Amino acid sequence: MAADVIVVGAGPAGLATATRLAEAGRQVRVLARGNGFTHWGAGAVDVLGRVGGEPVAQPLEAIDRLPEGHPYHLVGLAAVRDGLEWFGGFAVDAGLAHVGDLDRNRLQVTAFGSLRPTCLLPEPAGGMTEPPAPEPAPPVGERNPTANGGALGRPQGRVAVVNFAGFRDFSAALCANRLRRDGIDATPASAPLPSWDHDRYFTGVELARAIDDVGFRRRLAPGLARAAAGADVVVVPAVLGLNRGHEPWADLQSLVGTPLVEAATAPPSIPGLRLFAAYRARLERLGVRWQFGFPAVGVERDGDRVTAVRSEGASRVLTTRCQELVLATGGVAGNGIEANRDGTLTEKVAGLPVDGFPDRLAYLGSRFLGDHPLAAAGVRVDAELRPVDASGEPLLANVRCVGGLLAAHDPTAEGSREGVALATAARVAALLAATPAR
Amino acid sequence: MTHLIETDVVVVGGGVTGVAVLRDLALRGVHAVLVERFDLGTGTSGRWHGLLHSGARYAVRDQESARECIEENTTLRRIAPHTIEDIGGLFVLLPGDDEAYAEQFVEGCRASGIPTEELSAAASHRREPLLAPDVRLAFAVPDGGIDSWGLLRSMAADAEARGCKVLVRHPLVGMERNGDRITAVRVHDAVAGEDRTIGCQWVVNAAGAWAGDVGKMAGVPLTMIAGKGVMVVMASRYVRGVINACRKPADGDIIVPQHEVAILGTTSEQVASADDISVPPADVDRMIDMCAQMVPAIASGRVLRAFAGSRPLYVAEPPADGDGGGGDTREVSRTFTVVDHPRLDGLDNMYSIVGGKLTTCRQMAEAVVDRLAERMGVTEPCRTATEVLPGADHGSHRLAEPLARVERDQAYGELICECELVTRGQVRDAVASGLTELEDLRRKLRLGYGPCQAAFCAWRAAGMLAEAQPAGNGTAPDAVAGLERFLEERWRGQRPTIWGDQARQALLNHAIYRGIFDLQGAGVPDEAAAPTAGAGDS
Repeated sequence: MAADVIVVGAGPAGLATATRLAEAGRQVRVLARGNGFTHWGAGAVDVLGRVGGEPVAQPLEAIDRLPEGHPYHLVGLAAVRDGLEWFGGFAVDAGLAHVGDLDRNRLQVTAFGSLRPTCLLPEPAGGMTEPPAPEPAPPVGERNPTANGGALGRPQGRVAVVNFAGFRDFSAALCANRLRRDGIDATPASAPLPSWDHDRYFTGVELARAIDDVGFRRRLAPGLARAAAGADVVVVPAVLGLNRGHEPWADLQSLVGTPLVEAATAPPSIPGLRLFAAYRARLERLGVRWQFGFPAVGVERDGDRVTAVRSEGASRVLTTRCQELVLATGGVAGNGIEANRDGTLTEKVAGLPVDGFPDRLAYLGSRFLGDHPLAAAGVRVDAELRPVDASGEPLLANVRCVGGLLAAHDPTAEGSREGVALATAARVAALLAATPAR
Repeated sequence: MTHLIETDVVVVGGGVTGVAVLRDLALRGVHAVLVERFDLGTGTSGRWHGLLHSGARYAVRDQESARECIEENTTLRRIAPHTIEDIGGLFVLLPGDDEAYAEQFVEGCRASGIPTEELSAAASHRREPLLAPDVRLAFAVPDGGIDSWGLLRSMAADAEARGCKVLVRHPLVGMERNGDRITAVRVHDAVAGEDRTIGCQWVVNAAGAWAGDVGKMAGVPLTMIAGKGVMVVMASRYVRGVINACRKPADGDIIVPQHEVAILGTTSEQVASADDISVPPADVDRMIDMCAQMVPAIASGRVLRAFAGSRPLYVAEPPADGDGGGGDTREVSRTFTVVDHPRLDGLDNMYSIVGGKLTTCRQMAEAVVDRLAERMGVTEPCRTATEVLPGADHGSHRLAEPLARVERDQAYGELICECELVTRGQVRDAVASGLTELEDLRRKLRLGYGPCQAAFCAWRAAGMLAEAQPAGNGTAPDAVAGLERFLEERWRGQRPTIWGDQARQALLNHAIYRGIFDLQGAGVPDEAAAPTAGAGDS
């Protein structure tokens, strides 16, 4: 088999890169082991949520405070802007419009009642908070005095936190209690579900699929409205529809008559599933071939070029030739890098060098909720996202790395996962779009 | 002097020994109160591999222990079958193992009354398909698995039903001594935040590895040796029954399948303090490498966590460097001793019960209570070996039970903890019974023990705890802070075993709790302020 460009990985970075390259006319093939952080994320577009543990109000400005070698510094602010702009358009076309912009972060309400800083929110998650009026940016390099949660805008008025009766993965009390602790007027409530196929036990995906159905929504709305009576805004788990974009949310909101806000819930992220499905549909329309469940396990080389990728099928190893290779396999969390028992790290497709640790205890911090050096481990690259050796020289001329695989950033602690994915996808699109298919 | 509580006997220590003493007293009609600094089974009783000894491990070097073990093994099967998994055990002989030792082993078992059956290599592999191909032969013995939480709960419930009292979260803070007698013990009620005194006629020190501290408060010398043992928890069982190496006991020579996991054991190192439960990564590696000689699949297996416990070792004549560290403590006998303070130290109304093993806890209790009963003039004989425990009518525990329960109740979607098959109904009942901490739910239900290490169950259960509290007015206990404490406590056991798949799991869990839910750990005190012990583990 042969392809022009192979993209390995189908998380936020691989999906965006494959889509953009296909849109630019490259002939793309996607090889993926399985799902990535679309399914495991919060269902928002994080660009830069925290620096040094402190919430960030203005992500573009705060990028200056990131350490040297961070992927944002490698690709530049133009790529960050390009990535977010492209995503905004893609999402609108897919019926998944997002709110927000790069100048000011917003707060996303979570199932725990915490308010997490993020950049873009899908419309169903966006109605809780309005960002404050922009303030003049401080001089470059200075700490932003408004970089705290208070500057991020807080919910006003009365909030009803409503769970759907019997839904196991959300607790209205847990969410409302924490909101109240933060001074927000929140009350927990429960909305009955109309009778349906899963009367006793159901998952969020099953409930979301049911809510796709207009008849189900009409039966659901009166109970939800009663639970929400008197509230200015209603927080619900992110289960308002699976396969119909944001239309089920908008319809239910108009039936209830009060703004509905989807709170970030545990995996699988239903907003992430919506986005994944949109990418997949778009890639299919662009004629991109897709091998899902086929982990890439090695490459073939000719000098400083990769000529083919080996992937594991059900019964045999497949070899797919390529002109260009994009690795979007993720870091340790995404399964692009193996953390060995002795503290060394192995990049799993091309055997690229990854800086290891003195021993495995150094992988992780002493506190689970603290920072973990292993989360920031990755492949070091040059400004064209090519992997480099210890002296900074590119190792392979036709291999690019994007997203979580890159060294020097911690997607979880920084809240930068989708932003790095989109910015590095933009950079690769700019580099490879100009190269004609051979 | 008046006290808040008056009782005949105060039992110090809520491990299996203390609780067995309490039950023995209760069955003889003696009123007693047990005090425990944390929760039941948070010391050594919760930090071990779960082996119901046949005694065969001691058959060569320590036949007194071996005989105690096989007797109590038989007794526990009768009185507490519901806490036992009747899985049997093998002692396997690998190339390089000394055949002369195997002969001594068989002879030692015979002399100690432990039945053995020799299995050929082929028969061994039929019984345990994952055994190393080069296993030469094996001896089957009546080892088993035993759930110490279940045993503790049953014995405590029985004692309480008979009028005795269990005070958990009541650390001992002092004793009131009048001449040669202790007249009362002082405890701190950690929940109410106040001290109490308990007036008493007699004291039984059953504080295990911490018995020396209790001795100090009573003003008597009692030197315990803290023998640290490190254990490693694998994500699968690998084997049907217990697997032991047929050689002189050494590091990494036992695999105990327990519930859905297997526990590899163990080291035996003398440490300065029983509170030293640190786990050096090198010990983890050694345990895996050694056990993989018996079951090779373990070498590439998924490791969930590691933990350490302190053996309550006692020698009447402590070595000169008794409070030092570093030595191998395998030479110290595993038998038990009733320390007769009236005779040895002129303290007329206290006895300590030290040494021993979980398997022999009932016999230890019998020995000390016999001595006490004689002094008290209680003529009622010991009945703990014949009176079955509440729950025993259930029969022995079987691995497939949780799944059978889920299938019977059609509760597939009802699972709060998918790894351990804990249902919403079980959590609801536990919360309704008054449990308010995830730690307590974990010990009662095994919530969070599985391969995902609480990625999903902990926040679901925290939600149920929040729902059970009165409508949020901002003063209810903060379920989120409780969750953060739970996660940090679990993390300590995970850290030394994180690589490979578990590294991925750890970072995914981090992405859930810190990334999605935005927990920043504000509800957890700094490491320096965290307790150093008290969370049972396995």
